Amino acid sequence: MPVIAVDAMGGDFAPDEVVKGVARASLGTAIECVLVGDEPRIQKILESVSYNPEHISIRHAAEFVEMHEPPKEALRAKRDASIVVGAKLVAEGHAQALVSAGNTGACILACARHFRTIKGIRKTALASVYPRQTEYPGQDQLALLLDVGATIRCDALDLAQFAVMGSAYARRVSKVERPRVGLLNMGAEPFKGGDVLTEAYQRLSALPGIDFVGNIEGNDVAKGRADVIVCEGYVGNVVLKLIEGIAEVVTDVASNAVKRRFMWRLGMMLLARGIREVAHLADYTKYGGAPLLGFEHLFLKAHGRSTARAIENAVKVAAKAVRDGVPQEIAAGIEAVR
Amino acid sequence: MTTRWDALRARWPRSNGHWSLRPRATRRPAPATVIYRWDLDKTYLKSDFESLRKMMRVPFERARDKIDEPGVVALIRALKASALREQRTAFVYFISASPPQIGRAIREKLALDGIEFDGILFKDQLQHLVRGRFRLLREQVGFKLAELLRARLSAPAGAVEFLFGDDWESDPIIYSLYADVIAGRLEHDALADILVRLRIDPARLVEIKALSQKIAPADAVRRIFINLERRTPPDRFRSFGARLVPTFNYFQTALVLYEEGVVPLAAIVDVGRSLLERSAYSAARLRNSLDDLARRGYVAPAAAVALRAELEEAGVLPSTGVLGLWPRQLWRRWRRRRQRARAPMAPAIAAAAIEYPRLIDAWVASGSRLGGEPS
Repeated sequence: MPVIAVDAMGGDFAPDEVVKGVARASLGTAIECVLVGDEPRIQKILESVSYNPEHISIRHAAEFVEMHEPPKEALRAKRDASIVVGAKLVAEGHAQALVSAGNTGACILACARHFRTIKGIRKTALASVYPRQTEYPGQDQLALLLDVGATIRCDALDLAQFAVMGSAYARRVSKVERPRVGLLNMGAEPFKGGDVLTEAYQRLSALPGIDFVGNIEGNDVAKGRADVIVCEGYVGNVVLKLIEGIAEVVTDVASNAVKRRFMWRLGMMLLARGIREVAHLADYTKYGGAPLLGFEHLFLKAHGRSTARAIENAVKVAAKAVRDGVPQEIAAGIEAVR
Repeated sequence: MTTRWDALRARWPRSNGHWSLRPRATRRPAPATVIYRWDLDKTYLKSDFESLRKMMRVPFERARDKIDEPGVVALIRALKASALREQRTAFVYFISASPPQIGRAIREKLALDGIEFDGILFKDQLQHLVRGRFRLLREQVGFKLAELLRARLSAPAGAVEFLFGDDWESDPIIYSLYADVIAGRLEHDALADILVRLRIDPARLVEIKALSQKIAPADAVRRIFINLERRTPPDRFRSFGARLVPTFNYFQTALVLYEEGVVPLAAIVDVGRSLLERSAYSAARLRNSLDDLARRGYVAPAAAVALRAELEEAGVLPSTGVLGLWPRQLWRRWRRRRQRARAPMAPAIAAAAIEYPRLIDAWVASGSRLGGEPS
């Protein structure tokens, strides 16, 4: 069974929710987790919940990076921060993957400092799954969007590499045999979007082993045309936050409508089951987290507001990605297109 | 005259002809006579009472169908064998609220497992049924407490007891009450009040009071082990004091018994090996179990360090693999070990009198059934 290092001190509700999530994972699976953080605090939380100690170990880390801290300065000042200790554990081979719900910048920086990038990869990418429409029965309800924040600007080669990495992840983790890859752009035509996106289009069309379906516009993101969508980190992050924001607005509008008129309330009651299903589909706690692809080791970034359930799922996804050999699949994919 | 060299030698003992950098851990001396009292279901046997259907199947199970808890057989064998080797006396008794009709299968199962025991007691449900005392069919606190007290009356003077139960029913309360009654820590009025709160049958209440008066007070119960079969949070047992040790597996139980001086290191190795070979445990799972016990304070830091090293050598725990670490990390590890080794041994939780009325109310409120299925 894979060993997963979990940053116990990262996240808005850390360490309570993180430790509880790992405790839940320890009861339901045989995954071994190493909780990294303040040992006495972690132990105290553990003892207050059901857990299986056979699957949990604790590695003490005296410091942690707060969510609001500037990553570079924080890592410089806190050499024994939980995220750094966790990254070192993975780099030294004591664990196979790292999970954190903490400061994203600090997480990426800690990984960049301690993990080696896969040979041939120029930039790593943070990938995120999101719910989308399906076009045919049996199609996965989730698509992959990358990069969503590990980079800001990329060139055409980086985007092509993102496609290889995203395809490998979708093949191994989502079990999509031949993932369809799309390039996020402002138009469907190949010449749209400026030099970088035009060149990226050409590169992706010519890539062997990649099922490139062309440019994907904003209104197609939530449709089932592509299983993997590649874009720059800056754009990807905006898209991801937009999807999250829309889901929140819909919920908010619905709850306001309920308060205003009796008939609307009645209507909402009739729609309740459907709304619950939509909410269930959009529930980020189900998906675990966003994998940082391109390193020899795996890092899974869980949502900052992760609850115990989200952490439990993040641990399971990380273990699955390790078992399915995602970094090895990416390395093979990159090697094939070099 | 003791030289500095002698002092150094005493501090750092030799192991297998090589100088060891491990400090000696202090264990409690073994008592001359020890009684081990075991609950059966969920403690020795992996009985399945989750549904009525499964419960109904239990009386018809054959000995070979019954499954023991991982590591328990190796541990009980070690308890007897180590006492024999060290010329001490050890008694193993089983007590169960199950009916005697299943006794034959249980005895056969114990024989199959190679367990030597000195007595086994069941609850005569048929007698209650015939007499129409239906309430007593489901009641087990009064039954077990009365039988434990009766057994204590015939125990050899000065015998020390270790009790083994589980987190499914009321074992923590029954065993703690028993320990405090025989230690003379509970006044008769206080005991009566507790028994009323526990809704014990009036006839049984009188019997328990009479038995408690006959017992010569002795603080005989050293440890109560609760097998966390249901994975109850250990925090819930804090109010029972340091005497009660919630353990997640029998490797942890063996570690505490080793610290109590009643089993040798070889017993921990046997239990560990049994878990590795028969129950598909990994060495890492055993290491995590030891670390958990140390963090909860049931094994002193110095002892945990020494045990880890010994068990690594025995091949039960994974090797820490210090080779390949940077010198700075090695230095940190060494410094940390020395700090731990120097730390004074302290009990996990300060020993304090148990507040039974509050504890029973909390226990009932938290959904733990007092009575119910046989245990």
